[in-house]
Amino acid sequence: MKALFLGGVAAGTYEGIREELPAGLGAVVIDDPIDRARLPAAAAEADIIVSNHWRRDYPPAPRVRLVQSVATGVDLFDLAALPGGCAVCNAFGHETAIAEYVVMTALALHHRLFEIAGEFRERGSWRTSWVEGGAPHGELRGSTFGIVGYGRVGREVARRAAAFGCRILAANRSERPPDPGIERVYPLDRLDEMLPLCDTLALCTALGPETTGLIDARRLALMKPSAYLVNISRGPVVDEDALYAALRDGAIAGAALDVWWQYPTPEEPNRRGSRHDFHRLANVIVTPHNSGWTAGMVRRRWDEIADNIGRFVRGESLINVVART
Amino acid sequence: MKTVFLGSFGARPGVWEAILAKTTEKLDVSVLFDLDDAQRLIPLLADAEIVVSHIWKKDFPAAPRVKLLQSVAAGLDLIDVPSLPAGVTVCNVSGHEQAIAEYVLMTMLAWQHRLIDIVAAFRGGVWSTGGGAGGGPTHGEIMGKTVGIVGYGKIGREVAKRAVGFGCTVIAANRSPVADRGEASEIYPLAEIDRMLPRCDAVVIAAGLGPETRELIDARRLALMKPSAFLVNIGRAGITDEEALFAALRDGRIGGAAIDVWWQYPTAAEPNRRGSRLPFHELPSVIMTPHCSSATDGARDRRFSTVAGNLDRYVRGQPLTNVVLTT
Repeated sequence: MKALFLGGVAAGTYEGIREELPAGLGAVVIDDPIDRARLPAAAAEADIIVSNHWRRDYPPAPRVRLVQSVATGVDLFDLAALPGGCAVCNAFGHETAIAEYVVMTALALHHRLFEIAGEFRERGSWRTSWVEGGAPHGELRGSTFGIVGYGRVGREVARRAAAFGCRILAANRSERPPDPGIERVYPLDRLDEMLPLCDTLALCTALGPETTGLIDARRLALMKPSAYLVNISRGPVVDEDALYAALRDGAIAGAALDVWWQYPTPEEPNRRGSRHDFHRLANVIVTPHNSGWTAGMVRRRWDEIADNIGRFVRGESLINVVART
Repeated sequence: MKTVFLGSFGARPGVWEAILAKTTEKLDVSVLFDLDDAQRLIPLLADAEIVVSHIWKKDFPAAPRVKLLQSVAAGLDLIDVPSLPAGVTVCNVSGHEQAIAEYVLMTMLAWQHRLIDIVAAFRGGVWSTGGGAGGGPTHGEIMGKTVGIVGYGKIGREVAKRAVGFGCTVIAANRSPVADRGEASEIYPLAEIDRMLPRCDAVVIAAGLGPETRELIDARRLALMKPSAFLVNIGRAGITDEEALFAALRDGRIGGAAIDVWWQYPTAAEPNRRGSRLPFHELPSVIMTPHCSSATDGARDRRFSTVAGNLDRYVRGQPLTNVVLTT
């Protein structure tokens, strides 16, 4: 049996799990997918493809039956270009890291960490301190934490925020019973009722037809002027122009943005994540789509992928199946 | 009832009014911000029955009638107890512990996730510092880490509650025996802190300053910590040895620190005075804040409610809360 590890992340995964792979499994690693010289032969023989993408113009892979994504999203796989009978599986392990990021940035926004620590380091300014009669900052305790998308990440956020004494609300596309500590799970079409209640709004949903442009100018206007937005889902869940205007004009208090509307390219590695200058707004924490990128996440994800490859080779039932061709 | 709000905290504009607004009983109130104004201080202390202040100096004039000294802070390190007359009940305030616990979790997270570096680089347009889409190195998480709390009081317990929610293991060291361990899995006597320190990924100083804790974290104990360990000090600066901590951070013998409490404070002449004679502000591994971990709107409100409640209780002759000692 042969496995093709295609692309930089898959190549890294191979290095991380090679000891755990079943004996006798042949592995071909193509770090750079533009390396078209080796791809036709490897694709022709592969029973398993481990990658973060599969393109329409790739050579045929007639034998493949397991397509194992190295990421959670499988939107970069062109399923029509794969043969029939493939199981497409994704990988998780990121929810812990992302939930930590959401609570961390919510804390940093409410506590005004960047402003206070920045002034103190640069100028020795005690202006923001009680010692000098500075204005108090906020806290999470007693505040209302709204979570849009009550899936794996949303649940982990809720669990952590609950320990801070937050009131927790959630909105989800499909109906979900609220776990203990969560006041209510709204259906997504009643999100408008939840937004005015939230002091922090964390977007943890997948990108899909119902969520593209979900947080638009009208919904931003439903939020409290003192509220903070944390987006770890996908950039286009939020209307780019409307969010920039709301943050610039103080229509909401601030945001932490980890996901973007545009991404770096080989020609432009330092391309800005938006056509707007979010990076110049003092009330915005900007990070380069790395909220889940922890050492722990990588290890957990590798373990899941190795586990699934082992299951496939042994003919056992697979985990994390998201599609079948 | 003669009540005096004293000093830079109790008599600060905005503070004493907010406290009074929460009281219901009638008080005869005087306010004195400047403690060096002896002309006013002498008659005020001669008459006062209640003093609201976080400070009591050795050379204060006689205060023969005072029965309640209500601090507006948690720490009593600025109150010179021996110079109080006999029969004074000293009360502190709480309500800050939740705010400080939030700060501790925030800084532990920010340090593990390399938040400040990654944000700074990305503001400059660089994706690769943060991994993820930029393909750079991974950062850490706090799940599975061991948090050691020095001083397992109200703050320590609030830290423990939250840290456990993140999947941390919590251990603690405390001066006196602890009956209820709360969320901590193990409690060391403070005298055995040397056994606890090597286990910790984060050490949180949440103790008061006293003879047992002064320079408790010295060069020798810093050397017992993991080279990757993160130190959070929200107790008092004097619990750590200033020079030893600076050297350990500068030389990378511990991983980093969040410091909210300082060895020196601003003065009227030097409002932007650095918190240490050593340049902690030049160390990238330090998250530094100006003694404001507790300065949240919620903590302020809870503290003021505690003070106001105690003033009312004293007037009504009811038992007081937050009693620390009686002289």
